[in-house]
Amino acid sequence: MNQFNIHRAYSIARKEVMHILRDPFTLALALGLPVMLVTFFGYAIDYEVKNIKLAVLDRDNGPAARRLKEIFPASGYFHLVDIAPGSGPVAMLDSGRASAALFIEPGFSRKIKGGGAVEAQFVLDGSDNSKAAALIGYLPGIRRAAQVRLTGSPAREPSSFAPALLPGASKKRGSAKLLFPPNNPAGPRQYYPAGAAPSAESEADPFSAETRFLYNPELNSRWFTIPGLAAIIIGLLAILLTALTVAREWENGSMELLLSTPVRPLEIMAGKLAPYGILVLAGVFFVYFVARLVFGVPFAGSHVLYLAACLLYITAALSQGLVISVITRQQQVAMQLGMITGLLPSMLLSGFIFPVESMPEFFQYLTMLLPPRWFMAAARGIILKGADLGELAVPFLALGLLSAGMLALALKKFKTDLE
Amino acid sequence: MRKELIQTLRDVRMRVLLFGAPIIQLTIFGLALSTEIKNIKLAAFSQPEDAMFRRVAEGFYASGWFVRINHMPGADPFELIASGRADAALISPKEGLARSAGRGGGKIQLLVDASNAAKARAVEAYAKNIIAAAAVREYGARGEAALKFDVRVLYNPAMESSMFLVPGVMGMLACLITIILTAMSLTRERELGTFETIVSAPLSNAEILLGKTLPYILLGLANVVLVVIAGYLIFGVPVRGALWQLALGALAFVITTVSVGTFISTISKNQQQAMLGGFIFLFPAILMSGVLYPVENMPKAVIAAAYLDPLMYFVRILRNIMLKGGDAHVFWTNLGALALMALFAAGLAYKRFRQTLN
Repeated sequence: MNQFNIHRAYSIARKEVMHILRDPFTLALALGLPVMLVTFFGYAIDYEVKNIKLAVLDRDNGPAARRLKEIFPASGYFHLVDIAPGSGPVAMLDSGRASAALFIEPGFSRKIKGGGAVEAQFVLDGSDNSKAAALIGYLPGIRRAAQVRLTGSPAREPSSFAPALLPGASKKRGSAKLLFPPNNPAGPRQYYPAGAAPSAESEADPFSAETRFLYNPELNSRWFTIPGLAAIIIGLLAILLTALTVAREWENGSMELLLSTPVRPLEIMAGKLAPYGILVLAGVFFVYFVARLVFGVPFAGSHVLYLAACLLYITAALSQGLVISVITRQQQVAMQLGMITGLLPSMLLSGFIFPVESMPEFFQYLTMLLPPRWFMAAARGIILKGADLGELAVPFLALGLLSAGMLALALKKFKTDLE
Repeated sequence: MRKELIQTLRDVRMRVLLFGAPIIQLTIFGLALSTEIKNIKLAAFSQPEDAMFRRVAEGFYASGWFVRINHMPGADPFELIASGRADAALISPKEGLARSAGRGGGKIQLLVDASNAAKARAVEAYAKNIIAAAAVREYGARGEAALKFDVRVLYNPAMESSMFLVPGVMGMLACLITIILTAMSLTRERELGTFETIVSAPLSNAEILLGKTLPYILLGLANVVLVVIAGYLIFGVPVRGALWQLALGALAFVITTVSVGTFISTISKNQQQAMLGGFIFLFPAILMSGVLYPVENMPKAVIAAAYLDPLMYFVRILRNIMLKGGDAHVFWTNLGALALMALFAAGLAYKRFRQTLN
């Protein structure tokens, strides 16, 4: 009587399967949603900042100023917007009709021709940090290209410019940050519009960096976004689906009925989780095919290991849903709690968008409680780097511990409720 | 209507969920998230006598963005990165950096773990600038630059992440709370059978619907107020524009999301469907809002879809008012779009609601 009986668990599972099948809408959604969302956002999200609207106020109108203006769109990152009549460049920024503005003062072309140094003011909209930082990152490349086009002489980083750019130059973060490209999409690799040979410039440097990107040599955003997206959607779905199951039984009063039968709590849990686990796993397979076939994401590691990671992760997410369900006993509250603890934390704190290592130390520890954080590390490691179990021991262990912990919590709460 | 408000507020857990969760989440996200990439684990590889390279490497560690990773002599840089112990490796030329540079065009190799493409981009950008500055330090500047850009960052000169993220997170929270409150409300009543009681009461359809939604609109607004105050007190995010503009924008937005939530709850047969419906709305709304990824960056077809996202307009209004001091053009166009959406969503919810009643 006290042992776990697989048949009783199976009966619960069968009942749950019936429930799922009776509602084809939910079934279709649960299966189709991951694929739909991964496809759509895999296509939509690109870390490289492009299409920056640049307003140019040209008070010079000379040939050099015109050439400088052309360099920006030629880089592929900017397109020029006209300054609306009766409005100035700053007003364009205020209204969001431009993200950056370039001021070219009178005498620009004349000074360039005379071989003097010139300065152009570049003003940008700091209300969107990620964009502004990327923009600043593009500037040195554009400056170099512009210098070549305007004077014909490949010049190095100006001494007055480079140290100011440098974080090490001062520990005052505020001022150092201001001029430096801190950010996600910071470095474009193609600074140079056709005609300005990059090699000419680097030859002049006594030494420079030669960067090699491992695992994703072309820095394809999708290779990196899609495994992350999949992790988040799958995890959320698992949480939300299970969060309602036990709560539904309490709400309908069928829990009392279930309890009067000889079914043990553990059997109820196992029976309730298994069908949803399979449902979500099916979603994983669909997403896998979309990622490989539609987006051409490579798969460097072991499929078996990935499957194991998925299983562990799904178990953790299902357990989280179960805990919520057992605690709230009400579908509406369960859903609210599931959304609040699931949606934003897993999107923002898991390393999907913002790297965990960049967070303050305390929050790095806090993220350790989130299953998606560990799965994200494991999935990216396996898919892109081909990591083996030894290298991923920590994420695997953490996922296992979290699942076990939450299952135990759910079980304990469930048992106390019964008494 | 009062019944709904009382019912929602009566539950202690509900109160915590409604007012505690947004504040806690705002605080956590505001403190934890940064668009800046930090703590990049860097290992440096060189011959022991390569003093110049070591000075360059010190420049990396002194920058505050890189963390030193020590390794045994003879360690394999690829192995370090593969195992995740380092994010990047800096490798000096075999003959020594000074020698290599003396022959012109010395190359320091930088290996970057690009399994996180966004981070890899940042690492490269940092490295380029640090190395260029080191070259100037070692050899002095060659020639005067003919062209300089004088860069000014408006609205957020220190480029603090919280200034930019907090308004976005506010919008997301307002959206989340209103949707999860309303998406299940009617479905639940129908499942529990209390819906018939209300319908049989001598009230018109519009009165019932208004009574069902108005409390949530008020709760949503209260949430916005709470979060704006918290943003100001905790993060010092200013409200540079007019408060009435903020209030108007919030009102239009909350009406839209409450209507969307109500609509979801009228078309769902059970609470599970309602929950999935809420998820289908929330997930894209958040990703396309421009908080996490700039909208202009997306493909054209996706931008078209983003124009249907109320959260995008609300975040634009929030950022414009809070950081830029409010521009009439931005405010009225985005408010107009939101108002249209509110009208459309409310109409749709009302129509569906009537159908369900009959």
